[in-house]
Amino acid sequence: MRLLSAPAPSPTMHDVVLVGTEDGKLSYAADGRRLDVASDDAPSLDGNIVLLSPARGTLQRLIRPNSAHNTLLVTERCDQLCVMCSQPPNTAEWNLFEFYLQAVRLAPRDAVIGISGGEPTLLLDDLLNFLSILGEERPDLRFHVLTNAQHLTATDVGRLRALHLDRIEWGVPVYASAGGVHDRIVGKSGAFERLQRSLSFLARAGARIEIRTVVTTMNYQSLPALASYLAVNVPFAETWALMQLENIGYGRLNWNSLFIDTGEDFGPLGRAIAIAAGRGLVPRLYNFPLCTLPKAYRKFSVASISDWKQKYLPTCSQCSLQSTCGGFFQWYPEDRGFGGVKPE
Amino acid sequence: MNIWPLRFRELADGRVFLADDAGTFFLSDRSFVDRYGEDRLTTRDRDFLLANGHAFETESEPAYNSFAWRWSARQAKGGRLRYVILVPTLRCNLACTYCQVSRAPETARGFDWTPEALAQVLGYLEALSGSEIKIEFQGGEPLLRLDLLNAVRDFCRARFARSEFVVCTNLQSIGPAELDFLSASDTYVSTSVDGVLSDHDRHRTQNPALAKQFFENLGAVRRVAAGRISALPTIDLDQPPDLDALIRTYEDLGQNSIFLRPVNYQGFARRRHPAARDVGRWNQFHENFVRKIIERNYQTGGNLGEYYLTLCLKRMLAPGHDGHVDLRNPGLLGDDYLVIDQDGVLYPTDEARMVSRIGLADLSIGTVAHGVDHQRLAALNGAAFNHLDPDCVHCPYQPFCGVDPVDDISRYGRLDLPKHLTWFCGRHLALFDLAARLLFSRDEMVQHSLRQWLDLPEIPIGLAPVHYDPTAPTR
Repeated sequence: MRLLSAPAPSPTMHDVVLVGTEDGKLSYAADGRRLDVASDDAPSLDGNIVLLSPARGTLQRLIRPNSAHNTLLVTERCDQLCVMCSQPPNTAEWNLFEFYLQAVRLAPRDAVIGISGGEPTLLLDDLLNFLSILGEERPDLRFHVLTNAQHLTATDVGRLRALHLDRIEWGVPVYASAGGVHDRIVGKSGAFERLQRSLSFLARAGARIEIRTVVTTMNYQSLPALASYLAVNVPFAETWALMQLENIGYGRLNWNSLFIDTGEDFGPLGRAIAIAAGRGLVPRLYNFPLCTLPKAYRKFSVASISDWKQKYLPTCSQCSLQSTCGGFFQWYPEDRGFGGVKPE
Repeated sequence: MNIWPLRFRELADGRVFLADDAGTFFLSDRSFVDRYGEDRLTTRDRDFLLANGHAFETESEPAYNSFAWRWSARQAKGGRLRYVILVPTLRCNLACTYCQVSRAPETARGFDWTPEALAQVLGYLEALSGSEIKIEFQGGEPLLRLDLLNAVRDFCRARFARSEFVVCTNLQSIGPAELDFLSASDTYVSTSVDGVLSDHDRHRTQNPALAKQFFENLGAVRRVAAGRISALPTIDLDQPPDLDALIRTYEDLGQNSIFLRPVNYQGFARRRHPAARDVGRWNQFHENFVRKIIERNYQTGGNLGEYYLTLCLKRMLAPGHDGHVDLRNPGLLGDDYLVIDQDGVLYPTDEARMVSRIGLADLSIGTVAHGVDHQRLAALNGAAFNHLDPDCVHCPYQPFCGVDPVDDISRYGRLDLPKHLTWFCGRHLALFDLAARLLFSRDEMVQHSLRQWLDLPEIPIGLAPVHYDPTAPTR
């Protein structure tokens, strides 16, 4: 359902329009239906696409019209248990693809829709169906699917090829080139071997691939080896995202043993980036405050932290780089984080 | 374990450069080559070959697929015609000693496009598919016919969504109208600067007053076309320019890259510059120049590079650097670019035009009136790739290198001379040898320049892999 403060120029059957506001309550209505929302901030809800569960009395915001970070959580189940998982899985079995399909049909023009979990490919048939339908109906949309690539098989290559793959990016985590290290990080033995096969299937289908590597104490020294591995074995990847740890979920639980102060010791990361960039990959740095990066590496940085989970430290207000810096996660622990944060 | 065939070549200092068909390479030593040749590889050798992408177990596995991808990515993709070289006039106001093009005196008649010729060229451009075009104006001196340049540019701006123009000019005669033409943001200037005034005068202007005029004009054009000018020196090995002065000239121009161009063997230059045949001398000169800028960059913190060497380095490290039409593989002719000569005859390259103009061989591939003659083109393109050449198949540089059938015809009158006897091969072997020695160098002076040329923050071990197994048993 789409919440609107005033009737849209191009109305849909899913629209409800604001008809009344009173203390802490917004009333929306359409065609005899009426919806009361406990909020007094109508502007922030205008254009939101929401999923309503009348039985539970809940309203879940799926798509915000002006956000570059709309992500659909399609399942909370996962067959891996990564040591730094920001969204720890559970075993609840639910499947809302039917509703997500309706929601994305209502998405604003040119939106980027993230698909995340849990592990989305546990619902592979539904996922591919979803991408197939929307690929036909909405050529303006682009998708980013975050997957551990454990569930693709040779027979999926044809199904993948039938999608509009130019508009879908597959974000696939690879943490180390030594299978044992990768498997320990994701908590699943044999995961690396399976991952390699799936990457191969994605490549054969012509999928656009983003390799994602969270930087932790467990893989830090082997990052240069991973760069060489990717250049040789995953040369078809479009980008390689190297990401600092996020202090949430298991990342918070294991922060003290996993966090690497890359401002203090940039060596392995720097070597990895240079190897990757030199050999034709496109490395990018995510979640690294600019002041913690050597100057020559800042061009690889992307201001990546979603608006709603981003913050700056008090000292950042004196920094001339703030407008181009991604800052910190809301839940970044200043006392146990980077030692060298300073305004420039 | 299956190992993809490895080619190898000993570098000057006893180390051996090895590469597979996909251009994935490493440095090792003679004892590795012996073990490889005699099927005595150690476990360490095998582990390295697997890790560095030179081997696979079965055809269904990722290692096999990624090799296939790397091989494919090394192949230059041609495509739609989107780069056309036009010759509105053959007249020129200079008579450079090494002129590689057919030229006519400035006052001659009958060497410009007629109105009908212009209409035919525009009709040809009109019929192209696609929404982008790059036009290069050659000559003669194209600015002698600014009216024709304007007619083509106006037409292309209206016909194509994106258009770009390069004027290859000697900048000898520049007035307000020429400056106005060159000030447009879609218009680029390509010119020659042979060094300081006396160097420039030696072969080009042959009159110091004209050389002075040139440098004044260059200054004026720099004011209206800043950032859109590229210059290169043509080098006569018998009277080379002073290198330090040459470098300073280009630094003053604000260029961080110099493309050292040897006197071209095509066209008329061959008669007056026999040194153009001597590839060994050229290679020595080129390497001296590179050594000099490496030293200078280290002292000044500068970033000056030699364009063609940088291109070779980038092509070794990664696929996709196929933008330079003289070094790509396959180097399909008459595909994404071609030349329309002043008389409406089509050529695959400017050099092919020269070879034809001097009557050595007819390398034309059609006419602007009747289009490309695909039979003639196919005959040339049969030699436009190096994969199957009996010399190239043994060369570890083959995946990064290219082929130049027009140069072979120009120099030797034939395409089937063994490649290792050609100037092209001699030049590129030396270039890639030098590039390999630099890539594997741990010398800080070399690494400083590599960082600038490759636009990398550092040159770590692993960028160019090295493999030795000191524990291997020797024979």
